Amino acid sequence: MDANICRIDDFGPLPVVQPASVAELSDIVRGAALQDQAIYPYGGRTMLDHGLPPTRPGIAVDLRGLTQVIEYPARDMTITVQAGITLAKLGELLRPENQRLPIDVPDADRATLGGALATNVSGPRRLGHGTLRDYVIGITVVNDEGHEAKAGGRVVKNVAGYDLCKLYIGALGTLGIISQVTLKLRPLADEQALVILTCEPHAVAALLDALHRSRTRPVCLELLNDAAVAALNVQHPGLLPDAPRVLIVGYEEKRETVAWQVQQLIAELPAGTLKSLESRVGSTADPLWQWLVEFPAWSGALLTFKANLLPGATAEFFAKAADLPEGLALQAHAGSGIVLGHATDALTLERARAMLAVLEPIATAAQGNIVLRRCPTAWKATLPVWGKPREDLWLMRAVRQQLDPKERFNPGRFLV
Amino acid sequence: MTAPLLKRLRDLLGPDALLTAPSDLLVYECDGFTIEKNTPDVVVFPTSTEQVVAVVKACNDFGVPFLPRGAGTSLAGGCLPVGGGVMIALTRMKRILEVNYRERYAVVEPGVVNLWLTNHLKPHGWHYAPDPSSQGACTIGGNVATNSGGPHTLKYGVTVNHVLGVELVLPDGRVVRTGGPAEDNPGYDLTGVIVGSEGTFGIATKTWVRITRNPEAYRTLLGVFETVADATNTISELIGAGIVPAALEMLDSLILQAVEAAFHFGFPLDAGAVLIMEVDGLEAGLGDEAERIIAIAKKNKAREVRRANTDAERLLLWKCRKQAFGAVGRLAPSYCTQDGVVPRTKLPHILNEIQRIGTKYQLRICNVFHAGDGNIHPILLFDERDADQTKRVLAASHEILEECVRVGGSVTGEHGIGVEKIDFMSKLFTPEDLGVMLRLRNAFNPNNRCSPAKMLPTAGACIEASKAGRRAAL
Repeated sequence: MDANICRIDDFGPLPVVQPASVAELSDIVRGAALQDQAIYPYGGRTMLDHGLPPTRPGIAVDLRGLTQVIEYPARDMTITVQAGITLAKLGELLRPENQRLPIDVPDADRATLGGALATNVSGPRRLGHGTLRDYVIGITVVNDEGHEAKAGGRVVKNVAGYDLCKLYIGALGTLGIISQVTLKLRPLADEQALVILTCEPHAVAALLDALHRSRTRPVCLELLNDAAVAALNVQHPGLLPDAPRVLIVGYEEKRETVAWQVQQLIAELPAGTLKSLESRVGSTADPLWQWLVEFPAWSGALLTFKANLLPGATAEFFAKAADLPEGLALQAHAGSGIVLGHATDALTLERARAMLAVLEPIATAAQGNIVLRRCPTAWKATLPVWGKPREDLWLMRAVRQQLDPKERFNPGRFLV
Repeated sequence: MTAPLLKRLRDLLGPDALLTAPSDLLVYECDGFTIEKNTPDVVVFPTSTEQVVAVVKACNDFGVPFLPRGAGTSLAGGCLPVGGGVMIALTRMKRILEVNYRERYAVVEPGVVNLWLTNHLKPHGWHYAPDPSSQGACTIGGNVATNSGGPHTLKYGVTVNHVLGVELVLPDGRVVRTGGPAEDNPGYDLTGVIVGSEGTFGIATKTWVRITRNPEAYRTLLGVFETVADATNTISELIGAGIVPAALEMLDSLILQAVEAAFHFGFPLDAGAVLIMEVDGLEAGLGDEAERIIAIAKKNKAREVRRANTDAERLLLWKCRKQAFGAVGRLAPSYCTQDGVVPRTKLPHILNEIQRIGTKYQLRICNVFHAGDGNIHPILLFDERDADQTKRVLAASHEILEECVRVGGSVTGEHGIGVEKIDFMSKLFTPEDLGVMLRLRNAFNPNNRCSPAKMLPTAGACIEASKAGRRAAL
């Protein structure tokens, strides 16, 4: 892609500006306001096809110039950085202090912190460590008038003012451009392990229930179907055993605690339901961890959906999705009720519509929803990209009407 | 307050569900922040969402302000009825509506007392993680309003980290449900911003909370230190070493006197400070972690580190900590608790400053606080019948909080802004920051009829209402 122009969902070309400072970013927003232009912020462009196509001409703002580390008081276990920093770079800064932000972000060497926040990225470790909303303690945005506006602060506990941090996370940049963030950090784990179980499809529900009752406390509980395993083994031959269903249970803790949990889990598992069992401890688990983090953004997919469900409904949804004729590659963060489905080139718009017609009622019955993370632009006009509208949509619109009344930011792209 | 509104409220709720006699209203003139007081015109006790809606609509029809109240344990005047009006007491909405262990959530009404939920879950091995010291009295609705913390939030997070969704009666009487028991619903995280909005966005009539499995084991340690500095250095080193205790609480010598007199735990009365240090989780590896903590405490000149050997001993230690505020009555007739936050490495500095400020204003100040979060609770002792002392308490409080802000902290970690700290908002935030917050409030509460004069300063404006807004002690 040309550095000076940008297309979002075939809309454009949009001229690109890259501010080198927050002051420049403010000027850009004010300038756009004067000319009544829309603004499309972006970071590493890893999630740019998320959402609907733009509806108004405007400018694209590349935030990768905002990479300063404002303050890293490691002993306080917080860091304040500009939002254009990549997650990989952030990890490099934290590692020498034995610290981390325990959020899984695919394409970390390209994905920016601001982009991850705007799209509320999460991955396998969310079961044990939560999501971005649990780590952002302060945030600054450049608002629709070009002013810097902050919320929160730099201390780990703070209830002064409205907690706008929560509102900006997952708002796809529609309420302001995130320019600076203060994060609460965690120590790196001493040890890690992945226990890999394989089974027949019919055994999944009982296994997940057993894992829910386990004395062990997994930080991740991933479920893959055969198509996902096949996609993985094409890229990394032999990384996982070929099986109809693979469950991966992850632990991160003190060495002794991890060792105990692996043994305990093996002892707890119901006899006769497993086809195979294997554990990978320490760095031998790294390649599989990495793949579990990356696969939600699998580039081989024509269409990717994300369903959110009551965790206990994961097995049923997964089974129904796996039985569809599309041959979906499925990955579930099963402890959190999140299912990601990837369809390949064989999918047509008609089939996509039919597939969603089957899956959406299951998701809504499980008090959740199903959104499209990626699909061909032409399909977005007729598919429910942001899922089934919920009853609080009008209140979300009222919030946007207040904070971005001219719909300056990402017009048309979000559900609000 | 007009007679027609009173009649309508009585018709809606029945005669047993409202209070109007001045002697009855006195109970509702303040919360745990007693320096400012004002009685509501009427207190109503709805028992359902429908009744809350009906009350809110009636208030709108008559143009009267209203505000929700739980148990009134908040410490910043969050439920002070500024300008009078209708106080909607939610204590009769006290049902636990649903508990679902497989899906790890519960649905509660706002008047459910925090500890009731944990007690309800206990036989199944689960609990509700946020544990404010007032958890035996405070309600979950109040916790949602103030985004309450507690000792164990160091590891487990504050209220907002455990709230999955709410049913909210908006200030115009519409009802909306945000979030829900499934995570990651598409759209804005309205739930996240409703929590901690101190009743200014509406009245939460149902809350979906996350429930948490009990830890399998605990190690609860009591570190005894000659000086406050040794204790704070220990805190700093523990955090720096990457140990995330479940709780890390400090009590200084003055509060120890009061707590010991009240509970006879056996605290060493000649110690400068003690730290309650607790780690929890699986049994495997927990012993080692406790040993690491003991080593760090000893390295920082701990006189001794005691272990709670039995569950009963552990519970008594926590009772001492959580009811410390109650024991303060032994030290002085009145007290004012502050709620500043500093970066954890600034704890030694702020405690020195508190001592200096206490000397300057000739006040006794004791400290009992969430050390691991950097959330201080200096307790300023005084006699509210003495106007000069009261004045000095306010000045000293102000100076402590200013210093918290100066070193990069905040004026409230868990008690809220309420009316007490409203003047600090413009010190913590720029006009642009506050402008965005005001716009957000306008989305929920455009007429500012619900919990007026809270959270956001109204630049120079006086509060127009039926009577004097705030009756200060001065």
